[in-house]
Amino acid sequence: MSAPVCNPGSGAPELAGCSLLIPDVQSEPLPILPVEPAPCTQACPAGINVKAYVSLIAESRFTEALQVVRQHCPLPGICGRICHHPCEAVCRRGTVDEPIAIRALKRFVSDLAVAETAPAPWPLVERDSKVAIVGSGPAGLTAAYDLRRAGYPVTIFEAEAEAGGMLRYGITEYRLPRDVLNSEIDYLSRVGLDFETGCRVGLDLQLEEMLERGFVATLLAVGAQRGRPLRVAGAESCAGVEDALAFLRRVNHGDRSPVKGRVVVIGGGSTAVEAARSALRLGAESVDIVYRRYREELLADEEEIRAAESEGIAFRFLVAPSRLLMGDGALQALECVRVGLGEPDASGRRRPIQIPGSEFRVEADRVLAAIGQAADLDFMPAEILEQLTENELLRTDPLTAMTGLQGVFAAGDAVSGPATVIDAIAAGHKAAEAIHHYLKEGRPSIASQPPEMRAPVEYGLPDSPPVTAERGRPGLRSLKSGAEFAEVERPFGEAEAVDEARRCLRCGPCGECRVCAPSCRRRHVMLRFPDGDGTASRTPVLLRTPGNIAMGLSSRSTAQAQLLPESRPRLLREVSASEGDLVEVAPVRVQIVEEQCRGCGRCIEVCPFEAITMSGTEPDGTARVEPSLCRGCNLCCAVCPTAAAEPNALSVAWWGSRLSDAFDGRAESVNDAGPIVVLACQRRAGSVEPTLYQHSAHVEVIRFRCVGQVDAGMLVELYRRGASSVLVAGCQTERCRFGEGAQLATEQVARAEQLLSLIGDGTHRLRSDWSGDRAGDPVERPVLRMIAEVFGARPGLSGQQPS
Amino acid sequence: MRDLIQLKQSTQAALCLECGKCSTMCPLARFGGFSAARMMSIQDPEAEIDSHAAAVQRCLTCGACEVRCPQGVRYTEFILGLRPELPEKSRWSCPHGAVFQESARWAADGSVNGRNTAWLEDDLVVAEEGEVGLFVGCLPLFDVVFGSELEVQMVEIARSAVRLLNHLGIEPVVVADERCCGHDLLWSGEEGTFEKLVVANTTAFQERGVSHLLTTCAECCRTWSLDYPRYVESYQPRVQHISEFLAERVESDELRFRDVGETGAMTFHDPCRLGRQLGVFDAPRTVMASLPGSEVVEMEKSGADAQCCGTPGFIQCNRDSRRLQAQRLESAAATGATKMVTACPKCLIHFRCAQAEDRLNERQGAAELQIEDLTVLAASLLTTKSKTEKDLPSKS
Repeated sequence: MSAPVCNPGSGAPELAGCSLLIPDVQSEPLPILPVEPAPCTQACPAGINVKAYVSLIAESRFTEALQVVRQHCPLPGICGRICHHPCEAVCRRGTVDEPIAIRALKRFVSDLAVAETAPAPWPLVERDSKVAIVGSGPAGLTAAYDLRRAGYPVTIFEAEAEAGGMLRYGITEYRLPRDVLNSEIDYLSRVGLDFETGCRVGLDLQLEEMLERGFVATLLAVGAQRGRPLRVAGAESCAGVEDALAFLRRVNHGDRSPVKGRVVVIGGGSTAVEAARSALRLGAESVDIVYRRYREELLADEEEIRAAESEGIAFRFLVAPSRLLMGDGALQALECVRVGLGEPDASGRRRPIQIPGSEFRVEADRVLAAIGQAADLDFMPAEILEQLTENELLRTDPLTAMTGLQGVFAAGDAVSGPATVIDAIAAGHKAAEAIHHYLKEGRPSIASQPPEMRAPVEYGLPDSPPVTAERGRPGLRSLKSGAEFAEVERPFGEAEAVDEARRCLRCGPCGECRVCAPSCRRRHVMLRFPDGDGTASRTPVLLRTPGNIAMGLSSRSTAQAQLLPESRPRLLREVSASEGDLVEVAPVRVQIVEEQCRGCGRCIEVCPFEAITMSGTEPDGTARVEPSLCRGCNLCCAVCPTAAAEPNALSVAWWGSRLSDAFDGRAESVNDAGPIVVLACQRRAGSVEPTLYQHSAHVEVIRFRCVGQVDAGMLVELYRRGASSVLVAGCQTERCRFGEGAQLATEQVARAEQLLSLIGDGTHRLRSDWSGDRAGDPVERPVLRMIAEVFGARPGLSGQQPS
Repeated sequence: MRDLIQLKQSTQAALCLECGKCSTMCPLARFGGFSAARMMSIQDPEAEIDSHAAAVQRCLTCGACEVRCPQGVRYTEFILGLRPELPEKSRWSCPHGAVFQESARWAADGSVNGRNTAWLEDDLVVAEEGEVGLFVGCLPLFDVVFGSELEVQMVEIARSAVRLLNHLGIEPVVVADERCCGHDLLWSGEEGTFEKLVVANTTAFQERGVSHLLTTCAECCRTWSLDYPRYVESYQPRVQHISEFLAERVESDELRFRDVGETGAMTFHDPCRLGRQLGVFDAPRTVMASLPGSEVVEMEKSGADAQCCGTPGFIQCNRDSRRLQAQRLESAAATGATKMVTACPKCLIHFRCAQAEDRLNERQGAAELQIEDLTVLAASLLTTKSKTEKDLPSKS
C-alpha cells in the first residue's frame, strides 16, 4: 500500500484537528490535520500540487509524482523546460538558502515517462457535445485535455502542419527539443484528442461552419503570434529588418540558413531572447539585445537572460532604436538613442523618454524586432472584430471566458496578450471549466475563483533544514559547433533529483497528494466545501482511516462540506448520505463541563499537549481546555473521575452507537459466541478490517485515537453486552503518540481483570497487545490468535495460520 | 409515563407551600442554581420534565430539605419517583467510568455468578446457612478501583464486621452469589435492572434461611430496608445497620472494648441514608461513647441536620461534591477532633478522595484528619475474649 506523502506535526501546531461528525450517527470521526496549501502550490497558476510531487520525488516515487503533475498540467516535459516557475519565487527554502529547483525536478520526472504506455482509462463518462478548439498551443491543448477528461469529444484545429503553436514555432529546440514536444502531443492524442492540422479557421474553415459540423462550443486559443511592426522609418522595406517572431517561425519550420554578421535584437521579452539565441546558433558574429528599460524590467525569464549572457549575447539597457543607417543598399547600422525614464504609464512602469542629442551608432547587419505581439485575428467574423480590446486582443467576459458570440469562448495569449506557458495552461483550465458548465447548464461559468494569493502561511522553519546541500543546478552545456541546436540544459540525474527534492521543507502537514485516497481501502470520505463559504478553506478535505494522516480544514467553527464522488461506501452506508450531500465537519476537541469539574488536576497531568490549565481561584478551580491545542486524544476523558471532560469525537454517544453495531441486530456468529471486540488505536487498527471480513467469526474493531481512552467501565460494559472476548491493542509507551496512553490502558485492563475475577464466572477473555513495531504492526495477528482461541477450529480462515 | 400527579400526592409534594424552608437546609441551594421548592412546582410533568431534568439529576437526595418542611413533603421520595422519567438524552455520566454501574448491571443478569469471598481470612468464621446474615456489598470492588490511589482497604470493613460478630458468638451467613444492592441504579432511575438485583439478592439470602440481615453500608441498609420490600414482598428480613446491632449489644453489656489510648477526640459523620432516611442517629454514637477513654465531639451540623458528604453512591460527582466535602472536612477539623468516624463506605471514600486531591494539588484542606469506618474502629478495639466466646462451637 502506498504511503501518503505526509509531514505530520510540522509547521502549524496551533491548528487543531477536525473530525467528521455526521448527524445522528456518531461514526468514528476520523482525525484530520488542517492544511493550507504550501506556498509553492498556491503560487502555481495552473494549480499543480507542487509540494506533493516534490515530496514524492524525494521518496523516489517518480511515477506517482508525474501523475500528480498530470492532474493539472498536460505538458509536464514542456513546463519542466520553459516554465518561469513562480513556485520557486515563493519557495520557503529560499529563505534558508536557495529555493528548490522545482522546474528541473518536473523535467526529470517527465523525461522518465517518455516511454510510458497509454494512460489509465478515462474518461468515466462519455458525452455527446462536441467541442472545437482553435489553436494547438498550451491554452488550447490544456482546455482540450480537460474537456476530454470530462468526456467531451474534442477536435483541435491547427493552422500549421504540426501542432504546438508557439511551443513549436516560437521556441527553438535547444530549449524545447522537438522529440519532447512531439511525444507530449502524441500522449494527448493517445488520450483521445483529435487533431486536424493544416486547417486554418477563417480560411479553410469558417467559424460559422463549426455549428454545422456539430460543434456545440468553440474555443479560440489562437495566441498572439503577430509581431508588432517596428516604428522606425524604412523598417518595413528594409531587407535586414525582420520581425523576430517571423524569424523564429522560419527557423522552426526548418530554415537553418546561416545568419551572417552582427545581429541586433530589439525588445526585452522571451521572444527577443529566443530570437537572439537562435540567431547566435545560426552563425551570427555577434548578437546584441537592445532594450529601452532597465535590466530588472526585462520580461524574459532570469534563467534565459543568464543563459543568453553566458552564450555571449550582450544586453544594452535604456536604449531605443531611432533610425536605420543604410549603406550600399544594405543595412549598416542601427542608430539608437539613450532613454530616460519618466512618469509611470498605465501599466505602472515608468515611461521611456528618448534623450535628444544622445544618438549613437550600433553596427548591425540584421535587426530582429521583438517589441510586442498581437493576435492574428483577420479571419474572425465581424462581430468579434468589432469588440476587440484597445490592445487588439479578444474581449471575453472574465468570469465566463465567452466572447460576444454565443458558444464561442477564448483563452490564452489571444485574450491576455503574450504571457507564459503556465499562464496559458491556467487559462485553458478555466476555459474548459466554463465550457463544461455551459454545456451542462446552458450558461457558462467559471466556478472556481482564481486562487488568491493568500498571505503566505508562516510555516515554522525547522531548526536545521533537512539536507543542507546546496541547490542542485542542472547546468548548461556549452555551445558546440555541429550541435548548436542540441538541448542546452542538462537534466538532473536520479540521485541529484532526489537530493534536490529532499531539500524541500515540506511546508505544512499535508500535501493533498491524494495518494492515500486509492490506497485507503475503505472508510474514507472526501469532502469539498461548497462555494461561497468565506470562512472555510476551499481545500478538499480527505478523511482517512486511522493510520494515515488526512487533510483538514481550518480550525474555525463547524462547517458544512459536501461528499465528493470519490467517497467510499462505508461511511455513506452508515449515514445514508450520497455524493453531494452536506455533512457537518467539526473540530475534534474536548471540553470541560465546568459544573462537573472537581479541580482534581488529573487531566492536566495526563494531557500530552499541555492543552489544559486550571482556571479560577482555589479551591474552586476548574480545568479548562485550550481549543487550539487540544488534539482530541481523549486521554483526559479517561482519567477524569467525574466525567467532566467531554469529548465531541469518540464521545459517549459514539461509543453507544459502536456498541450497537457490535451487539444489536447482528446475526449470531459461529458457535453462538458473542462478538470478539477489538479496541485498537488508530495506528494499530490500520487496514485490518478487509482481512477480518474473510472470517465468519464476528469481529468488531472499534478504533480510538489512543486506547488510553479506554477505561475499566467500558470493558465491563462490553462483557455485559455480550462480548465473548475483548482485545485491547495499542502501541508501547515508547511508540505512543500520546505519551501515557499505553500505561493508562494497561492499568484499566488490569482493573477490569480484577473486577471480572470478582464478579464473573472466569470464562471471560480479556487480552491486550502492545506493539513497539515502527511499521505500525496491524492488529491482525493477535486478533487471529483470539479467533482461534475462541473458536478452536479456524472457520473461514483462508489458509492463515496464527503465529 | 407514570402518573406524576399521583406521585405528588403520595409524597405530599402537592402540599408544598413554596415557603422556601427546604432551601435553607439544602446544601446545594447555597451554591446557586438549585431549588427544591421549584421542583415541587412542576405542574405538567410530561412537558416540564425536560427542562427540569438537570435539577432532578443534581439533587443529592440527602433529605435535608425534609427536616424543616412544615407540610411534611417527602422530597427524596418525590425525586426517586421522577428519576425513571428522565429523558434518555439526560443520561447519567457516572463517575469513574460508570464502572460500578456496569458491574451492577452485569450482576443483574442472573446467569452470572455472584462475588467470590476471597476477602475472608482464616480466623474469620462464616456459615452457609443461619439466621443472621452479613450483606457485604461492593467493598471488594472498591478496593480494585480505589485501593492503591486512596490507600484504603475496604474489605477490612467486612472482615471487621465478621470479627465483631464472631466475637459475639455469631457465625454470619456470607453469600458468594451476593450482588450489588442496586442503590445507584435505583436512584438513577433504572428500575428494571434494580428489580433483577432485588430478586437475585433476596433469593440468595432467603434460600439460606437468613431472617436478620446486617450490613456495614448505610446505603445498602436503606435500600434493603425501604426499597426492597416494594419489589419483593415475600421476603422481608429484619435489616439493621451494624452500628444498631452493636449498640444493642453495648447497652446490654455484651460487648466491651479496650481503651482507645492517646487518640484525641472523635467526631461522627451521619450518613444521609442512615441518619435522616432511617432515623438512626444514636446507635453509632452509643458505640463510640462506649469505647473507654474516647472523647466524642459533635460537628456544627450533626444528627438530623448533618450535611451530606456530597456524593450519593457513585451516581454523580461534580463541583458541588467537592465543595461539600471540603466544607465537611473543615467542619470536622473545627471541632478539634483528630478522627472523623463514618458508617458508610461511600462517605469514607469520598472524604478520602477529597483529601487525596488536596494533597495532589498541595491545598490546605483538612489533611491531618483521620477518617475511619466505625466497624473497623470497633473491631480494632475488641478485647481478646468476650464473655460468650467460650460458648462458640468449634470451627467445622
